Amino acid sequence: MAGIDVGGGGHGGKRSVNMELPLIPFIDFLLCLVAFLLITAVWSQMARINADARVPGPPRPEEEIEQKEKDKQLHVEMRGERKFQLVWKEGSTVVNTIDVERKPVKVNEDVTYPDLGKKIAEEWKANGSHRAATAKKFDQAVLHTDNTTPFADVIAVIDAIYTPQREYTVPGSGKTEMVPAFNVTFAVN
Amino acid sequence: MSEKPLHRFEQPISVPGRRLLHGIPLGFVRKKAAGGGGRSLNQELPLIPFIDFLLCIVLFLLASFSATGEMPIDQNVKLPNAENVLDMVEAPMVAITGTQILVDGVPAGSTRAIEEANRLQRIDELFNILKNKRELWRQINPGKEFPGVAVLQVDRRVPALVVKSVFQTAAFAGYPNISFMVGRMGGEG
Repeated sequence: MAGIDVGGGGHGGKRSVNMELPLIPFIDFLLCLVAFLLITAVWSQMARINADARVPGPPRPEEEIEQKEKDKQLHVEMRGERKFQLVWKEGSTVVNTIDVERKPVKVNEDVTYPDLGKKIAEEWKANGSHRAATAKKFDQAVLHTDNTTPFADVIAVIDAIYTPQREYTVPGSGKTEMVPAFNVTFAVN
Repeated sequence: MSEKPLHRFEQPISVPGRRLLHGIPLGFVRKKAAGGGGRSLNQELPLIPFIDFLLCIVLFLLASFSATGEMPIDQNVKLPNAENVLDMVEAPMVAITGTQILVDGVPAGSTRAIEEANRLQRIDELFNILKNKRELWRQINPGKEFPGVAVLQVDRRVPALVVKSVFQTAAFAGYPNISFMVGRMGGEG
């Protein structure tokens, strides 16, 4: 056990100044604390996927809608059962249309579309407007689905849209990190 | 004397050693008085590094401790998994099961009603609850910009029509930035 020894003491009827520190109860307390924290620790597997809303009428009237309209946007159509359609649009003008075969890959209970992810990454490298690390804005992708599509498929396609990654310099700190190249908007209409 | 130690049964004369004070009849006094050169059985345990180690563990566990615990997931919601995900945020949680819609556990509409109507619609109950939450947030945080973030916990089998209706309602109630709660691909779903 640890102690404090200042030398001498205990002579001439004086009380000893040496002290024994009770470390064992302290260790017991620490062990209890460790056990409690380990038991209550949360090892979360939950995460999120972002999507903005595109609804009839602007949700934020103070934002300028016109500015957004001029940027090139990638529209991902998943209305058919056999293929996806990637449509590059500038405002309402269609610039390019690409068909991608719908090849779902099962991962346990989930579905993924790796081919769609690869094609979107290629398209972004060829046509993306905001590829520089210093670009503050991101390219916009708009997802269109029909009403009967199960939610798991919607998530699989959003996941594929987030496949291409780009460097992004965080304003202020100057740090560069990898972030998804697209912002995804879920078209409600 | 021979260099090689001799066995005591073969050698009638023992090796000379200490004799002084060995004749004391009381064993414990004899031991104290004669010594004997035996190594002390007392050992000092290095407790200080052990306490340092425990303190490091406690600090790490305290830093990663979450008082709110795991994000509550409705029992009837089976989430899809995705690969390109972000960490969770604190925001109103809208759960969409096969039968009902819940905001932080409070019923806010019926999924069946939307499916039966088979058209996109605003869910009034959900709209009112989210609007009240937004007003409350503004009262608590005066002068701050409202983030407009809500997290949707959607069952993987729910059709896109229901998701779109909830999405639209949330956007109208002032929550245009929606995140979909998902499991991490490879982790427990």
